[in-house]
Amino acid sequence: MNAKTLEIQQFLQLSEKLTAFSEFQLQGTGQLEEYYEAVYQIIGEKNMIQLLTTFDKIQDETASDETAFDKQFRAKVLSDEKLGPITRSIIKLWFVGTWYQLPKSWNETFGLLENDKTYVISPSAYKEGLLWPTIGSHPMGAKAPGYGTWSAPPEIPAID
Amino acid sequence: MSNDHGGLSTIVDHKTAASTNYDAVIVGSGISGAIAAKELSEKGFKVLILEAGPGKDLSLNGYEKYLDNFYTATSKDNNAPFPRNPNAPMPRGTDVDSLRPGEPNSDNFLVQNGPLVTDTTYCKVVGGTTMHFESKTPRMIPEDFHMKDNYDVGINWPIDYKELQPYYRTAEKEMGVSGEVASQNITGTDNYAEGYVFPMHGMPPSYLDQTVGKGLNGMKVNMKGEEHTLQVRPFPQGRNGIPNVEYKEFNDGENFVPEGAVSLHQAEIGERCQGNNNCTPICPVQAKYDARKTLVKALRTGYADLLPQTVASKVVVDDNGKVTEIEYKHYDSMESSEYESGSFKGKIFVLAANAIENARLMLASGLQSTSKLMGKNFMDHPYLLTWGLLPEVAGTMRGTVCTSGISDLRSGEFRKDHAAFAIDIHNDGWGWATGSPYTNLHDIVDNMNKYGKELRHELVNQISTQLLMAVMIELLPDPSNSITVSPDYTDRLGNMRPIVSLSIPDYTLKAVEKARQVTRQVFQRLGAEDHTSYDPLDFGYVSYNGEGYALRGGNHIAGTHIMGDDKATSVVDKYQKSWDHENLYLIGAGSMPSIGTSNTTLTLAALCFMSTKKMLEDLI
Repeated sequence: MNAKTLEIQQFLQLSEKLTAFSEFQLQGTGQLEEYYEAVYQIIGEKNMIQLLTTFDKIQDETASDETAFDKQFRAKVLSDEKLGPITRSIIKLWFVGTWYQLPKSWNETFGLLENDKTYVISPSAYKEGLLWPTIGSHPMGAKAPGYGTWSAPPEIPAID
Repeated sequence: MSNDHGGLSTIVDHKTAASTNYDAVIVGSGISGAIAAKELSEKGFKVLILEAGPGKDLSLNGYEKYLDNFYTATSKDNNAPFPRNPNAPMPRGTDVDSLRPGEPNSDNFLVQNGPLVTDTTYCKVVGGTTMHFESKTPRMIPEDFHMKDNYDVGINWPIDYKELQPYYRTAEKEMGVSGEVASQNITGTDNYAEGYVFPMHGMPPSYLDQTVGKGLNGMKVNMKGEEHTLQVRPFPQGRNGIPNVEYKEFNDGENFVPEGAVSLHQAEIGERCQGNNNCTPICPVQAKYDARKTLVKALRTGYADLLPQTVASKVVVDDNGKVTEIEYKHYDSMESSEYESGSFKGKIFVLAANAIENARLMLASGLQSTSKLMGKNFMDHPYLLTWGLLPEVAGTMRGTVCTSGISDLRSGEFRKDHAAFAIDIHNDGWGWATGSPYTNLHDIVDNMNKYGKELRHELVNQISTQLLMAVMIELLPDPSNSITVSPDYTDRLGNMRPIVSLSIPDYTLKAVEKARQVTRQVFQRLGAEDHTSYDPLDFGYVSYNGEGYALRGGNHIAGTHIMGDDKATSVVDKYQKSWDHENLYLIGAGSMPSIGTSNTTLTLAALCFMSTKKMLEDLI
């Protein structure tokens, strides 16, 4: 496994935690590589590696203890001045296919990133947003469920 | 002539068109222009259709490009699929800003003179505003045509419902309406022909509609002493569903065949709605009616020429008021301000560019009409949005954008005192009001600090229970609400831009207050959390009787060249023919003397079919 493949694997595991969708489901979107590449281009190698190694370490230390993971993840990633905003943008990216520009306060502390602007990654990113299956629906304007399906109750997937 | 569109000689070049003598020169390729073009060309009359915007979209490829624009747009507003075009600019809801005191706001295409700022939009591309309209198709009700006689407010039409009724049927066929006549019996009288059915069966109501209906049906509301009973009713819609075999009787014995996607090659999509929940701004499969479906019928006759990227800049008249030609500016590229100009000649001229643009062009040509009412009586439906969370998951964000609503407050004696209104249940949730579901995602991630499972639970809690009631409120004609022009405000090609002056009278504000009260009662009855709030800094903020509300534009622009019985009090006659210019028609919702509580497109389409009878008489 080369370094990049390993990083994508770690990015996938991180994404699983962020979204509560399985690796299988995330792979099924076909978006993993595109997102990894986009985030890499936006935040740069150094920040990406810092995020992934921090996450990896927490995973190792907490094993399958979810409560312990949550505590450490909040302490070392979500409340981290640098990693928190990046992580929140990654969550949104998975859910609606849009990268949201990091907050101004981030730029003031860590500098401007050339590729950091709010944009929809691609037409397929929009269509593969996880928000829609989360609520038992489909992205507006794509993956239509078929005539009359809207009359039945929504099928909201259980979260395992 | 090129041959880009499925073997049809359609796209003409401007020099060829300028040297051709047409029977009719039609300005605008939206629904009004498309109907006129179809009706005239089918009878063998040679017509030219001008479109200010681009026209690539007559191919499936062009349409798919719009769709990709939509997918990648960070703002999914009404005009998101369509390119910004400085040579033929159009209003965008996202451009709107509050007024600065003491001066019109000219930052964006529509110059806003206030006092109310409007975010109403329309579309300048082939197919016009039907490209992004929602395609709800309720008829107006008989009393709407006689507001002065019935309620001592507004203006009477020169025609009544009965006279328009057969043309309503023609329009319903052309637009391919799905619906159930029984659900449209609002006034308790029989407003449809005996045995009439719509071309297609009604769209099934959404699960959200059913959830609301379960709690709401039978609710009583007091309207100035009259008791009205509310129920959730489905709307008729210009959207392909399942053909109704009983429609044969109204279709020369033939089964109705839905019009699918417009394309040069065979494309077997669009013959039935798939529930994309995206009627506005773009139906991905073209199951929704848009005017290109009518336009291609005109183009297939071989008697119609389409000329996109050509802006009508002046209507030229002789000493007797007869139109001699229409001057134009043609541009090759949206990226460049270069253009060539010339003029087109025809026997009759038809302005079908919508209520704002028809008035803009006439006024820019110095033609105010004898009545001086050109551009006056500007109308649009103000919308009041109210939103709450239901106590149960209702599957919001599924279905067509709107399948049902409450139509029981469209009619009644209370109209002497305040405006009527109709309520839409939005299957796309709070989107219009708050930017949901995006804003929910932001809030849950950024403020509630959720991720993973908790995030997903919260998304369901906050989105799948949403109920948005959008209240469409009647606005009566008032000459002080107007479209004007001034040489101070021009676009890149030097054409004068429309200036909008708009204020909301007490007659309508009283209805705003009542509508808010009724929606509160609905939320109370359903046990829903009312989350409605209006920001005093909102561009559409109005105060009435000690309470504030934020209004939104309805994109139902009308009234700027109203029809009537004489040239002193109206701009056009009942056939939408100009009183002042014997070979000029101004067609579309601009001719309507009232808009009731119906989306305007079906009614303006019916009026256009009626007008084409007269146009044919003129040409024969």
